Amino acid sequence: MEKELTGKVALVTGGTKGIGKAIADRLSQAGATVIVTARNHPGDENLKHHFIAADITISSETDKMVWEINEKYGAIDILVNNMGGSSSPSGGFGVLTDKHWENDMQLNLHSAVRIDRAILPQMVEKNSGVIIHVSSITGALPVYESLGAYAVAKAALNNYSKSLAKEFTPKGIRIAAVSPGMVKTDTMDAYLQSLADTTASSIEEVTRNLMNSLGGIPMGRMALPDEIAELVGFLVSPRASYITGVNYIIDGGANPSL
Amino acid sequence: MEKSAKELSGKIALVTGGTKGIGKAIAEKLAFEGATVVVTARKPPEGKIEHHFIAADFTDSSDITSLAETMVQQYGIPAILINNVGGTSSPAGGFQMLSDEDWGRDIELNLMASIRLDKAIVPKMIGNKSGVVIHISSLNGKIPLYQSNFSYGVMKSALNAYSKTLANEVAGHGIRVNTVSPGMVRTTAMESFLQSYAKSIGKTVTEAAQQIMDGLGGVPLNRLAEPEEIASLVAFLVSDGAAYITGANMLADGGTYPAV
Repeated sequence: MEKELTGKVALVTGGTKGIGKAIADRLSQAGATVIVTARNHPGDENLKHHFIAADITISSETDKMVWEINEKYGAIDILVNNMGGSSSPSGGFGVLTDKHWENDMQLNLHSAVRIDRAILPQMVEKNSGVIIHVSSITGALPVYESLGAYAVAKAALNNYSKSLAKEFTPKGIRIAAVSPGMVKTDTMDAYLQSLADTTASSIEEVTRNLMNSLGGIPMGRMALPDEIAELVGFLVSPRASYITGVNYIIDGGANPSL
Repeated sequence: MEKSAKELSGKIALVTGGTKGIGKAIAEKLAFEGATVVVTARKPPEGKIEHHFIAADFTDSSDITSLAETMVQQYGIPAILINNVGGTSSPAGGFQMLSDEDWGRDIELNLMASIRLDKAIVPKMIGNKSGVVIHISSLNGKIPLYQSNFSYGVMKSALNAYSKTLANEVAGHGIRVNTVSPGMVRTTAMESFLQSYAKSIGKTVTEAAQQIMDGLGGVPLNRLAEPEEIASLVAFLVSDGAAYITGANMLADGGTYPAV
């Protein structure tokens, strides 16, 4: 039986763990040829997808990676810019140095810009393609205590994604952002564990505190990575043919604004 | 994903205004996914009825009460409620053209109709600890158009606020509530609206459609949506795949909304 994404080539950045891994699995299940990229091979022998090591914070490595994908698998139909994150410390504005700001902008905005720049020409040539930017609810809902610079970079990514959609939708390319709330990834579990250790509290307490810092989550729980992947799987499919330029929030109701 | 096992098998869905336009496309899509679909309209559609049908006039609150009763008695508590009824018959021409009656009608059909039906159905969903409610709004709720759709846009804005507030209240009870905001959709209602609007401004239908697209700031995808394209978003949102999505307002507008 022909699947929804049969014959499509998809690249998922940061696709070896967390949300990226769930997205890669989901697109693969829908029939796509999925290539994942990360700086280092996950060392997982069961890795089900094609893997190309690349540091996409470096322009020449990004171009080389795209060339390699084109050689091996053909033109890219679906690009999921999932890579992102932050290594900035908690503690608010005062603790963030220029280096922290630069790193967070690099990881969350510039990497996506660089990879879009490398791949858009082949999509324009075919007059088709889908690009997803995995953003964060913090892009619209700043959390100064722990994620100040990261949130600013995601807000920039949201603006960039919209701008890109305006320019490239008339050329047949759909571009959308997805903004997850709190997601129960391994990284999140480790973060909660470290918070619990440093504050001598239980995991449940620190989880509740973090949820409260967002103003509470009406649904009362974190998302699972698979739930974010389902939304991305929908957006990249032909079912979403009229959807472009959007920023879809998937947060269990956490964003308190309209 | 492979759609061999039907996603909505065993679910009961109620789609208001489900005999034409976006509502009809939604009803067809949900039935295709395996749901038992009940549609409403003032009158049964001509020809063959493909879904279960209950007559209801949403400008009459007693009709809404009896619709909910009939629904629950005959088919059971719906797991999926699509508040699709809406629309306007107010004149074009801006603020001064609109009478209290015009405002009143737009409030009834675009806001109160959903509130009344939700009030009758959602408590029963809460009893089941599960359910999904969708409110079909409009891009107009986020982009005001004073010339053609002044009062309608205001009501859709109110519907967006209502939907978000309801989502907050019932999320803890296992009910998801979301809004879908389509841009311009190629329905028969849209086509007749464009015809009458074109006549009122002394332009052709193509010019009138272009004027509205320009008034929206341009449609990057450069065409109207087909009703099926809105239906597929609704079908995703009511499915288990959207289990973490509540309180959202999903645009399906070909990139029209200009802001971040």
